Amino acid sequence: MSLSAAQPVRRPGRSRLARRRRLAGLLLSVPAILLVAALLWAPIVQAIRYSMTTWNGYSAPVWIGPSAYTSALSDPILHRVLENNALLLLAVPVAIGIPLIIAVLLHEHVRGWRFFRSVYFLPTAISWVVIGMVALQFFAANGMLNQFLADVGLGSVHTDMLASEYTALAALAITFIWSMIGTNTIIFLTGMATLDPTLIEAARVDGLNRWQIFWRVTLPLLTRFIQFAFVITVISAFSALFSLIFVMTGGGPGLGTTTLEFFVYQAGFAQGQFGTGALYGIILFVIMIVVGIGQLRLIRPEDGEGW
Amino acid sequence: MRAVRMRRERAVRRWKIAAATAAVALLAAGCGSSSGSGSGGGSSNAPVTLTIWHNYGTEQNATALVNLAKAFHKLHPNITVNVVSQPASNYFALLQAKAISRNGPDLAVMWTGLFTLQYKGFLQNLKGLVPASALAQIDPNALKWTSDGFNAANGPYVIPLENQFYIGFYNKADFAKAGVTSVPTDWSQLYAACTKLKKAGFTPLVYGNGGQPLGATFYPWYDMSYMMIGTYSVSQWLGLYSGSIPWTSPAISAQLAKWNELHTSGCTNPDVVTNTNNLGQFESGKAAMMVDGTWDTQKFTSALGSKVAAFIPPYSSTPIKGVVDFAGDGLSMMSYSPHKAQAAEFLTFMTTKQAAAIINAAGLIPAIVGTSTSNPVNQQMLNFVSQDGMTAYPMLDNVVQGNIVNIGSKFLPSVLGGSESIAKALQAMQTTLQQLPANQRGNTFP
Amino acid sequence: MAGASAPAAAAPSAPSAPSAPAAPASRWQSARFRRRVTASVIFAVMIVVAVVMLYPFWYMSDNSFRNQAQFDQQRGHSLAGWTGLFRDLPVVQELVSSTVVCVAAIAIILIVATTAGFAFAKLRYRGSGLVFLLIVAAMMVPLQSIIIPEYVNLARFNLTSNYTGAVLVYAALGAPFATFLMATYYRGISDELIEAAVMDGLSYERTFLRIALPLSLPAIATVTVLQFIQIWDDLLVGYLFLPTNDRTITVGLAVLSSGRTTGIPPLMAGSLLSAIPAIIVYLIFQRYLIRGLTLGMGK
Repeated sequence: MSLSAAQPVRRPGRSRLARRRRLAGLLLSVPAILLVAALLWAPIVQAIRYSMTTWNGYSAPVWIGPSAYTSALSDPILHRVLENNALLLLAVPVAIGIPLIIAVLLHEHVRGWRFFRSVYFLPTAISWVVIGMVALQFFAANGMLNQFLADVGLGSVHTDMLASEYTALAALAITFIWSMIGTNTIIFLTGMATLDPTLIEAARVDGLNRWQIFWRVTLPLLTRFIQFAFVITVISAFSALFSLIFVMTGGGPGLGTTTLEFFVYQAGFAQGQFGTGALYGIILFVIMIVVGIGQLRLIRPEDGEGW
Repeated sequence: MRAVRMRRERAVRRWKIAAATAAVALLAAGCGSSSGSGSGGGSSNAPVTLTIWHNYGTEQNATALVNLAKAFHKLHPNITVNVVSQPASNYFALLQAKAISRNGPDLAVMWTGLFTLQYKGFLQNLKGLVPASALAQIDPNALKWTSDGFNAANGPYVIPLENQFYIGFYNKADFAKAGVTSVPTDWSQLYAACTKLKKAGFTPLVYGNGGQPLGATFYPWYDMSYMMIGTYSVSQWLGLYSGSIPWTSPAISAQLAKWNELHTSGCTNPDVVTNTNNLGQFESGKAAMMVDGTWDTQKFTSALGSKVAAFIPPYSSTPIKGVVDFAGDGLSMMSYSPHKAQAAEFLTFMTTKQAAAIINAAGLIPAIVGTSTSNPVNQQMLNFVSQDGMTAYPMLDNVVQGNIVNIGSKFLPSVLGGSESIAKALQAMQTTLQQLPANQRGNTFP
Repeated sequence: MAGASAPAAAAPSAPSAPSAPAAPASRWQSARFRRRVTASVIFAVMIVVAVVMLYPFWYMSDNSFRNQAQFDQQRGHSLAGWTGLFRDLPVVQELVSSTVVCVAAIAIILIVATTAGFAFAKLRYRGSGLVFLLIVAAMMVPLQSIIIPEYVNLARFNLTSNYTGAVLVYAALGAPFATFLMATYYRGISDELIEAAVMDGLSYERTFLRIALPLSLPAIATVTVLQFIQIWDDLLVGYLFLPTNDRTITVGLAVLSSGRTTGIPPLMAGSLLSAIPAIIVYLIFQRYLIRGLTLGMGK
């Protein structure tokens, strides 16, 4: 993979060229820094401040202090909510694995791959409201899932998935996985487009079969994109899933599908307690940072050039 | 090589053009339309535009509001009324956001009870702005729930649009066919009626999430209100707010147990939490009873004609003595409105007989003293109070804290459906209450 | 450096090897047969998945051509959904608003992400790793927690009375993801290419514009398509930050689910209409994806 080591390309301090490079780097990254700092980081810092207050948005905030965190973190309802988030994380590997397989198949130009590629992506264009509605009909007691089960002879396995806590979460996870297939397939297809076909050929010549090629050659080369898809999927599981929950279950039954971001929304918007909402939001933010850093360490690319 | 470079240059040029176009689009957007609620109002004859926001969708309340606006404009040709429909979800968050930036509507729909008090920070107290004579036209039972401490003398924040009932509807033809000769007034009579109706092939009492905004399960607070009517007096309901009557009380548990028994004994449909067609099933006569509210009365009378009648959900071990009769929503004035005088004129107009007629024509019950409703089923409900001596109760979800309402909405439907235990649901509500700061569960209403 | 042209004698995956009717006849045939069966099975599975993916579209179309009663009964068709949609909402105006907001926000995102992505991938400077991490970490910021302070800030600068506030928020929300993707993609470009251009006398900035940017069209296309959909379908930001006259179609559709009931057929009609631009954008950029691929591969 590494070519001739003749020219040390990135030795810092190597005179004017290096300085020009650094300056260009700084210049080119300024727009992003400004935008993100002003419109993402600033409100987060403000939210930290508001999280320790009681605030309804338009009157003056009433200071509580860090005890707001201690009382919130010892709330058993919050623990139950976090349990839901943890369970949903289990859906992420599935939401990555299936698109990966599909992308590999499409890349190998299965018959009609262009058609399939477009078709698999189309659901991404549908709003969550519609997806949620269709899912509601699908999982209903007299819906398609039960009809299908009856058709294949499993009629005794009648389900009403959205009526009890954990099965509702499962239904939600299934719908979520379904909706992520399009996005992740595109990401992996883009990634596979960067693969050097000569490497695959070389492996084939060396006698590796398809499975070994996939596992030993393709997959490591795709690591960066898998990393990327992982981050996107986790973020979606934490944020976009909110819309699904909103339409399908409203957080119920019980606390069965109340995830932390739904909890944030509920406190801030449904109950008008923006201080509390900010508090849960900060907790959510910290969790996501931890998960994000965690996965960056887990999935390291082969050439050690990980982020 | 040159061909490649030229292609690249063309690509780059194309991107430059795209970027430039986008920049122009952004500039154009930035200099684009800005909102505003019309010219400032000085004298009351200068042309003024009033903006009214509502979250009624396309339902009867919206029709009533639009017609009120039209009639008002005829009376005050210099005032144009702009009625804007807002999504129901996040409606109050939107109002709060506009209060922050102070560029929202002049009038907006506001729910009464604790909702009003929660948002009163940006609501205008109408004492002095709407003449006392006009306020006197309003059903006093309605007005008090929109004032501080629920005492009308403190001045209302909301002028109610209509009188609402949480109520039960039943199909007289189904009852006759099943041999149910009298309307049940307590739990045991209800069970007896259910048995007969089930034998005759009907769904006795249907539940589902039709009749709700998208995504919600059925709203359990109609039933919960009646279960609390069957247990406590109106004044005792303050105890539910303050916590002196904890949600985990045995009396409340017992009521929920009886309610759940409706499901286990087959009095209800099996899929109470996920059924989407409960309205359709009642309207077609397949279901004999349904717990709902006055917003659907006209829908039912159109579908079933004289076959539909109102009854009081008999969730009590002794004959039930109260009915939920409450003005659940109305219009309030934003404290930052630049057209307070004109907005007050509109609110005053809402208290006139002419307005009452418009409201009635839309199938609603006016909250104006001395008016009646032309829908016979609505009239039946008014008679419960005026003739049958039923005590008027507020809507329970308007007088307990919003957090409780939210957590209850998540657990209680499953209590009926049997997938959540009563103890767990009540404990969740109680825990939520205890987590609230002290000023949100005081011994008096705020 | 593989010698790829070595004639692979018995390579099992050579598709058009002249069939040798020689010794292991049955084994040959069974291998090819097995391959065909596998291919057919895969094809069948893909068809099933395609049906599953397309079902919501059928659901939307079918139910948009009903009125409410027909929807409840699930039989009968009429134009009520479509007429209701155009009667209850200023559909065209809202579609225009959506387009303006999307185009403006994506323009900003692309400018910001390509420049910064290239910088973090190729033009390292002291602290650039940390800055990159901070920008990517901003992806984790949950919208619901910052939206209120964001609103307060933007309202103070009076940016909530026209498109500007919403466009800036959308741009900020999409920038970290886009920067991450662009940087990932730029990482794959060989350093030698950049250094060669610099040796030729181009400045680093020019190198970015003339060499790196055209090479990254697949990633740009990906960013555009994904961000377009995300912004187009967003509800919360548009709802809070846009004045009523400048509403997007997604917020407009939410009005249909107000009150106590939802008119489903108009909602289905509107959702179908709203899905079409996203599909068009995808179909357009799909071709750029392919074109960009050949550009990138043509070294």
